[in-house]
Amino acid sequence: MQIYATIAELVSAAETADLSLSELMIQQEVANSGNSRDEVWAGMERNLEAMAAAVKRGSTGEGAFSKTGLTGGEAIKLKNYRATHQSLSGDTMLAAVQNAIATNEVNAAMGIVCATPTAGASGTLPGVLFMLQERLNLTHEQMIRFLFTSGALGMIIANNAMIAGATGGCQAEVGSASGMAAAAAVEIAGGTPEQSAEALAMALSNLLGLVCDPIAGLVELPCVKRNAIGATNALISADMALAGLTNKIPADEVVGAMKKIGEDMPQTLRETGRGGLAATPTGIKMKMRIFGQDRDFE
Amino acid sequence: MVLNYKSVFDIIGPVMIGPSSSHTAGAVAIGHAARKIFHAPATTLTVRYYESFAETHRGHGTDYALVAGVLGLPPADPQVPNALTLAQQQGLAVKFIEMAGPSPIGHPNTAIVTLSNEQRTIEVAGCSIGGGTIEIRRITVDGFELKPSGPLPILLVWGAKDNDQRIQTKLAKMTKIMRQQSYNTAAKHLVEFDLERSLQQHEVDSLQQGAAELVYL
Repeated sequence: MQIYATIAELVSAAETADLSLSELMIQQEVANSGNSRDEVWAGMERNLEAMAAAVKRGSTGEGAFSKTGLTGGEAIKLKNYRATHQSLSGDTMLAAVQNAIATNEVNAAMGIVCATPTAGASGTLPGVLFMLQERLNLTHEQMIRFLFTSGALGMIIANNAMIAGATGGCQAEVGSASGMAAAAAVEIAGGTPEQSAEALAMALSNLLGLVCDPIAGLVELPCVKRNAIGATNALISADMALAGLTNKIPADEVVGAMKKIGEDMPQTLRETGRGGLAATPTGIKMKMRIFGQDRDFE
Repeated sequence: MVLNYKSVFDIIGPVMIGPSSSHTAGAVAIGHAARKIFHAPATTLTVRYYESFAETHRGHGTDYALVAGVLGLPPADPQVPNALTLAQQQGLAVKFIEMAGPSPIGHPNTAIVTLSNEQRTIEVAGCSIGGGTIEIRRITVDGFELKPSGPLPILLVWGAKDNDQRIQTKLAKMTKIMRQQSYNTAAKHLVEFDLERSLQQHEVDSLQQGAAELVYL
């Protein structure tokens, strides 16, 4: 079984073979799974459909609302704002924010999402992808390839560091997703594999140290809006890489730094709902309102 | 580097009911592993949660997700949030316990699942490592305590000792065997194989021959 162990190895394989990162990922998946190329491709098409459906659900009608009342309906607010105002950050950027928030509102409402790489970070990739679909008139094939490229980088991050908030904080979830999306956005815009790696390095560097501090332990506050940051940070980082900016610290070393920071992070800031925003007076009040009591240990 | 994530679909996917891939989809997967090992209708299910799972299982829907897995529902089944009601209808009594202190298997997202009926009790200690991917680090079954290295897939084969070599030869042609461990009592013989890559259904089927019982996780 052959799996690219590092980002440097993946980039160098792409340059040597003159193939895209998405193509290498598809070939690796076919070789390792024993499934045909068509089956692998169709599997990714099903994921894309689920992502599109979540964005649509969160952006239609009144939007999606969670049972707790902590989150919901804010993708619709953004949609209305975009229609009636000249926004500060530009409409394409806000389209990404809207897609990201829509997806995570559906997730918080216990709707169907595609984990990319996690459910808590499920808005970041669709945030970028469906905005680029309109802005660059992406073909269906390009959209599928975006997901394979994201997956190629995500596998390397997951195997070398972590992607769970409980082990690495939000940097491991939204940070990883943002790096994956940045690398995939570069490929789709015609950048080189090396530029994809730089985009990932910049996007992940920007979110290093981000803690996982959900109110009441729920994937709602601040998770939904952190995906807005994951998506826009990915776009900014992709643009920086395409403009020739570099991170100076190589992508693999940034992943290593993320792992070390995750290991050093106290347990209160790793998805326990006991530190950060969750431990603010308002955060604690919300938890008491939802659960009525603090937890009991046996 | 431990290879936990072996497929692009471990990263892009699964398609699932929210809100948490590790606390919901991963919990479904742990429940599903316990179901496969038990492979009979269970009457009681007890779940012990540790660390992040103990702190946040209520908010993440971990309870219904684990039960959904035990009942055999896939992670995107719209019935997942109704699993506690389904369990009641099917005569499965469930209990969830929040444990203080560190996880005995060394991971913050730990659930120890005990399934039983009048004949049998099994225990599966699983952890959800992110994105819906799980590890199984301890299995107690038929008086054996198995300690797999963690990453799936894991193949368990019950049967006669002289069948081991045949299975091993067949398996080695399909994938690399990362670890092989056998367990014996006077009455039972069990072999655990930790495998490098997932098997196709037809490959699993072809291994059935000669085995008294086979569980593929």
